[in-house]
Amino acid sequence: MSRTIAGVTVTAALLAGLTACGGGGTDAAEGRTLTYWTYQDRTPQAGQVLEKIRKDFEKANPGVSVKIVKIPKDDFNTKLGSAVAAKTAPDASVLDQPLVSKYALDGTIKEVPAGLFPDGTYFKGALDTNLGSDGKYYGLPVDQTGVALFYNKKLVPTPPKTWDELKQVADQVHRAHQDVAGMVVPKGDGYGAWMFPGVVAGAGGEMADVPGKKILFDQPPAVEALHLWADLLPSSPRKITDSDKPFENGLAAMQISGPWDVPTIREQFPDLDFSVAPLPYKTAPAGNIGGENSVVYSTTKNADLAWKWLLFLGDEDNNGAVADAAGGFPVNTKATPVGTGPENEAFLAQLKVAHARPAVPQWIQINDEIIAPAIETALSGKATPRQALTDAAAKTRTLLGWNG
Amino acid sequence: MASPALAETPTAAPGPRRRPRRPDARRRDHLIGWLLVAPAVAYFLVFLLHPALSALYYSFTDWDLRTPARWVGLANYTDLLFDDVKYPHFWTSVRVTLQYTLIAVPLTLVAALVQALLVNAVRRGSNVFRLLLFLPVVTAEAAVGAIWRWLYDPRYGLINSVLELFGVPGQNWLNTPELVVPALAFVSAWQCGISMIIYLAGLKGIPTAIIEAATIDGAGPVQRLRRVVMPMLRPTTFYLVVTGVIAALQVFGLVYVIFSGAGRSVTGGPEQSGLTYVLHLYLFAFRYDAMGAACAMSFVLLVLIVIVTALQFRFVRREAA
Repeated sequence: MSRTIAGVTVTAALLAGLTACGGGGTDAAEGRTLTYWTYQDRTPQAGQVLEKIRKDFEKANPGVSVKIVKIPKDDFNTKLGSAVAAKTAPDASVLDQPLVSKYALDGTIKEVPAGLFPDGTYFKGALDTNLGSDGKYYGLPVDQTGVALFYNKKLVPTPPKTWDELKQVADQVHRAHQDVAGMVVPKGDGYGAWMFPGVVAGAGGEMADVPGKKILFDQPPAVEALHLWADLLPSSPRKITDSDKPFENGLAAMQISGPWDVPTIREQFPDLDFSVAPLPYKTAPAGNIGGENSVVYSTTKNADLAWKWLLFLGDEDNNGAVADAAGGFPVNTKATPVGTGPENEAFLAQLKVAHARPAVPQWIQINDEIIAPAIETALSGKATPRQALTDAAAKTRTLLGWNG
Repeated sequence: MASPALAETPTAAPGPRRRPRRPDARRRDHLIGWLLVAPAVAYFLVFLLHPALSALYYSFTDWDLRTPARWVGLANYTDLLFDDVKYPHFWTSVRVTLQYTLIAVPLTLVAALVQALLVNAVRRGSNVFRLLLFLPVVTAEAAVGAIWRWLYDPRYGLINSVLELFGVPGQNWLNTPELVVPALAFVSAWQCGISMIIYLAGLKGIPTAIIEAATIDGAGPVQRLRRVVMPMLRPTTFYLVVTGVIAALQVFGLVYVIFSGAGRSVTGGPEQSGLTYVLHLYLFAFRYDAMGAACAMSFVLLVLIVIVTALQFRFVRREAA
């Protein structure tokens, strides 16, 4: 009867058991071993890249061996959490951006030592995803990704640069072809809420001011951003965009998506003539950010080595390949990206102006449970964008105990 | 999950000629008995009882799976029920799940009974039909979810095409909050194979003599179904209602697959209209790192299931008897 309960706990117990044999940095007699957990390779090539970098690092640091443990992405956070609980955390690992501030808050991970790298080494957006809620850095970026505007070249000869142009183009497309939507307007789900801050930043706004403990997504920039999405709906009816792959099938002229979609579309829809441009903006170019960071655990005995390894992954020579293997773009300002072409340039331009998510430990929950429903309420017309966001901001303030 | 082997534990009945057994021999039999059931008992203790008791403990703590659990007493329970800032969608998930149960269980029973009657009526090749009707049950949930996403597609979906043949305008099934629960319940009715098999067994158990007697007394097919078959199937129906409700209250896999597209985080469909209880629980356990609250949710569900089942035993069974 209580299969659910048993299920949840059995899974937890199993994971704890499994991971107990996973990590732990040990001082071997012949030298030191550094354990690093990362996601399962996306491709065989990605595995080779990491293997080469591992060997290079060992060559540069005689007596050191790096043990890389690869874990499927879906199970990664749970296994990592269990390992931390069982005090068998690795020396260092990859960590999902929104988890950094959470892990920092309870002391699971180490603060980045002062002067570890010169200013300007990393892109600001990517580096800022490593902030703890105390405004200090707790990890180093490995790769970054974000969303940009995909456009069908046949329907949209020149991509819109501003919000007004975007609305205009969407309207023109839908007017000319009634069964084609101007744009796939994001939804009020976790994914849509993840993209939203990039649009808000395009109107010069932020979602929150973490050091000042202020929620800002009920301010004009956010309200205007949500208005933009709502205003696009008449020329981008859900009836069309809710069908399977509307952009790929030529039923929507534009969509917001990330670099992961480019190879998939090229492969599955070779006839679709499309390109990618930076997100349209209102006052200043801006975008959102995703990707992976790396952190060092408080329980490690090899902190110096671990930071060295993280710097190595993000250095000017390696980061291009490392980021590509992880499916993203380099975070080192001097690294050379692997991919070329107009799409890559659009994403790179976007990432230079990317804004990190607020470093609030509960952000995933706020994103999913408060912001996403507010977006959906506004987009379905059940409330105005201002009402929806005012209400959501009030809930967030209560949840966090913030007054501003 | 009691193992059937438990019932077959050999307890060698003493033969008529044998002398009364000595105590040590009996003790040895006991030992052998325990050895034989040991795997099942160990499984029960390690994988069912221990986790369930741990979950009960953790339901009184604030635990993120990572740092030591902190005792918070009943706070998880009271917050779940009364704090709509911390758990804004808890009651939504309860409502969605109850709605789903109210639609899915009757729909499944009707579908199962109709299928069972049809299969029972078929004289040749009933095995083939049984297999075909059972296939949805053995199909992996992920595949079922993917297929139904296609069937419900507002533009290319087969369901809308069929509706349009009859002049009914196509619907945006999985993106209209009011239609999400019925759409999910319909999929579960499609997967009614197990209920169908149980109904079929119930039908086979009705003595033909009674049916024949009713026929001789002049009862037509409809009357035979209403006055003979249905009443004779009542115990079966009762069993299916009880187990069906328990399963429906725990629906998860299908919703998870249907609402998770590539790269999308599952927040339960448009306006949380598909946020079922267990999906909500799962999100707190594995996405928001609130394992303590998730454990509390599972015990609230347990209590709900016990109450609903007890009510069914009290009111429905009396009628069934």
